[in-house]
Amino acid sequence: MTAAIAGLGMTEMGKIYGRTATQFAVEAISRAAEDAGLTLADIDGLYVNPGVKNDTDLRLQSTLQMRDTRLLATIQGFGSSAGQMVQYAAMAIDAGMAEVVACVYADAPLKEGKRAGAAYPGQARAMEGVGSLPFAAGLKAAPERYAVAARRHMERYGTTSEQLGAVAVAARQWAAMNPAAQMREPMTLEDHQSSRMIADPLRLLDCCLVSNGAVAVIVTSAERAATLRQPPVHVWGWGQGHPGYVNRRDSEFGLVTGAARSGADALKMAGVGVDEIDVRELYDCFTYTTLITLEDYGFCAKGEGGDFVASGAIAPGGSHPTNTGGGELSSFYMWGMTPLSEAVIQARGQGGERQVPQHDLVMVSGNGGVLDFHSTLVLSPHPKTR
Amino acid sequence: MSLAPVVRDDFSAPFFEASAEGRLLLRFSPSSGAWSEPSAMVCSVSQAADLEWREASGRGHLVSWTIKPGRPRDDQPAQDTVIGIVETDEGPWLTLLLPDADVAALAVGAAVEVRFVRPEGSEHLPVGRLGG
Repeated sequence: MTAAIAGLGMTEMGKIYGRTATQFAVEAISRAAEDAGLTLADIDGLYVNPGVKNDTDLRLQSTLQMRDTRLLATIQGFGSSAGQMVQYAAMAIDAGMAEVVACVYADAPLKEGKRAGAAYPGQARAMEGVGSLPFAAGLKAAPERYAVAARRHMERYGTTSEQLGAVAVAARQWAAMNPAAQMREPMTLEDHQSSRMIADPLRLLDCCLVSNGAVAVIVTSAERAATLRQPPVHVWGWGQGHPGYVNRRDSEFGLVTGAARSGADALKMAGVGVDEIDVRELYDCFTYTTLITLEDYGFCAKGEGGDFVASGAIAPGGSHPTNTGGGELSSFYMWGMTPLSEAVIQARGQGGERQVPQHDLVMVSGNGGVLDFHSTLVLSPHPKTR
Repeated sequence: MSLAPVVRDDFSAPFFEASAEGRLLLRFSPSSGAWSEPSAMVCSVSQAADLEWREASGRGHLVSWTIKPGRPRDDQPAQDTVIGIVETDEGPWLTLLLPDADVAALAVGAAVEVRFVRPEGSEHLPVGRLGG
């Protein structure tokens, strides 16, 4: 395995109106190429991940005036897409299919004058047939669907709302040091506890932001990356885990996620132990998602995620720096590109005030559906030696 | 209560025929002897394709739940919506609205009985009653 991330491009993110997902994508890819010291003409592979609005795709190639592209696809693994794109790019480069692959996520769900919640009205499923029954019963949008998962974890392991709040507070503490973060004002546990209930047990401050924008990365060979403008971020290992929850007696829904398999596979490929990971960038659509991913990756024992986060371990100054840019909870919501972009920044040592001093190994998660789809990357500023 | 209307398609016609009679149907695989949820296309245990509709007990217990806060409208007080994941005695899980559920009685393992109601413009839909 010889791949490295050589470029990172981020647009303005948040309540940025009047631009389409494709326009955001073009800007992000252009910025990523420039960041790497490349031009658009150097890119011979393109993976496009449209977000919830699903209004950009592989035709972005023609928008970018790319010619004779050797690798091109729309990738849709929901929140696990960013990690998946880097994995497929790394394999394609290793196989000789392409040399410089751009991977982009772009979405523009926010409309001026409309609430963020209106951007994600829930599954637009036709109310026909027995498959519609959960939706008809009221399990529609992500908050209530994650709420039943979180409730199950709470009932099984004694996880509390205050412990979920510790995740939100830690994310905000990191975000306060990130100029790109949407939410930087201080937040206390009391603020979390007094925020309005969205779907019990999840409060407003347990939920991620909604953002317009795009993020792109450039993946190339480690050898090529070493000649480019930025310090390479080497891809040491990866994995995917898609549990395929079945709605029946033996389901581990809410208790164990695809992170367990995905994380173990990624660490094995990287040849490192979980105790060697310096920085964690975890998909945090909800506070509970951070907590259960920490458990499933093995940073703490199953069921002890609540005590772990409440100890301050993941906050600035803690033993296990996590979501150092503020994550999706406080920084911006670009699906798996939120954790991936911060991982690249940290691995390069470009985190400024929030830079984690020890950043030799960074673990990145992507999570999609309702804990249905998971991807993992292990990244390092050092060439792979094991 | 806020059940959204659901109409039948060819696949679900037997389910809703039984719902109208107050009976719960689940999917059953004769080859594996295992039950699956109503929307299953293949057996949830063996992946066998021999699923058929079979009447279930209509009893189960609570696995998890969420409470969606209601919003007051006009002079009506806010009414919370309780939605439960219910494990039927046969094994499959159902997502059920729990109308008028006593929030204090929500607990893992709490007994639930399936009932049926008919929203306007809808087939009869299953709901859960705690302590049933």
